[in-house]
Amino acid sequence: MAFHLLDRDRRGGETLVTALENALKAIGHCERCRMLAESALCQICDTAGRDHALMCVVESPADVVAVEDSGSYRGRYFVLMGRLSPLDGIGPDELGLDLFEEQIAGAEIREIILATSATVEGEATAGYLAALAKNHEVAVTRIAHGVPLGGELEYVDSNTLSRAISTRRALDAD
Amino acid sequence: MSERRNVDSEPAFILHARNYRETSQLLEAFTHNHGRIGLVAKGARRSKSPFRGALRLFQPLSISWSGRGDLATLRIAECSTSANNLVGTALMAGFYVNELILTLLHRSDPHRDLFAHYTALLAGLADAADNVEVVLRRFEMALLSEIGYGLCLDRDSVHHAELSPSQRYEYRVERGPVPVDATSGSDMVFTGVELLAIGRGDFAEQETLSSAKRLLRNVLEHHLGGRPLKTRKVFASMKRRI
Ligand SMILES: [Zn+2]
Repeated sequence: MAFHLLDRDRRGGETLVTALENALKAIGHCERCRMLAESALCQICDTAGRDHALMCVVESPADVVAVEDSGSYRGRYFVLMGRLSPLDGIGPDELGLDLFEEQIAGAEIREIILATSATVEGEATAGYLAALAKNHEVAVTRIAHGVPLGGELEYVDSNTLSRAISTRRALDAD
Repeated sequence: MSERRNVDSEPAFILHARNYRETSQLLEAFTHNHGRIGLVAKGARRSKSPFRGALRLFQPLSISWSGRGDLATLRIAECSTSANNLVGTALMAGFYVNELILTLLHRSDPHRDLFAHYTALLAGLADAADNVEVVLRRFEMALLSEIGYGLCLDRDSVHHAELSPSQRYEYRVERGPVPVDATSGSDMVFTGVELLAIGRGDFAEQETLSSAKRLLRNVLEHHLGGRPLKTRKVFASMKRRI
């Protein structure tokens, strides 16, 4: 794209540069959930119609967009902007856990849904957040990981399949 | 080592992975016959990638790659046995050991014995019946021997006499135990009975285990040459909040 802009479309390139500059200047982090935001609160935290007692913890803004696109969630979020990654020196401080603890210590949050990735570091993050939440009166749940809808078992990798089996749930007969 | 080549069905573990470009990952792997190698896993983060689900830390793998050990291209990665499921302290210990290997081993040096020790370490960490501290101390000692800095725990380094259980010794890195009198206050002073038990790998006594931790921490710090371990800093910060 850079070559195309330099070669053919310098005016378009300048417009793009100005737009990026404005975005970099205007976009910060929501002071409540750390989502990318143009004002102090992001649009989700600023919406009265959502269930602010339900907090979904995700790794990145892209994860927020993915959960929002699913259309199945009406709570709020907490965006870690990463995951525990000890070999990269990423720990509680880098993930904004002061803010997280402050919020779960307050009376508003009733349930935390841990939606970190199904990687080893994502699991480590979920386990650690659950341990932190133990000191407070909040319910903690972890999103299920398993067989994709429409997926045939023989094409599912063995780790995913063994996880799906170990986290199986009872099926109502009626 | 500079020629292009193919390696097939090599036993391996992923020590560390980081995202690379839009959909790929850069991996540091520990392999049985080729030691530590760097790999690029192209498209590993795509939802349809054949690597997806396999490239997990601590998962015993069989991998095939093309190219040199600095940055070869991963072709196939398959789980060879079921995953080592590490949780809590054992999981943190696993991260710590991965950082030790990444810091102390050079790329493309084969360390077949250490690979066996690493495999045993992970099985021990995954087994709730095993003491994480004991499993860690055994691995640290094996790692030091493997890189040529094995501990000297049978004879003193002055008279080359067998260690006496009741004598106190100061352990000097790269030299060994030196007899000292009872008043010496160094952090590296141990009784003969402790050093002998550590040498036998006998950690039944809690005293021996805490002495081994102090000894190995100091010796490893020396060989790390002042490079601080990131995992240690992160664990300290995690513990403060629990
Ligand atoms: Zn927000």
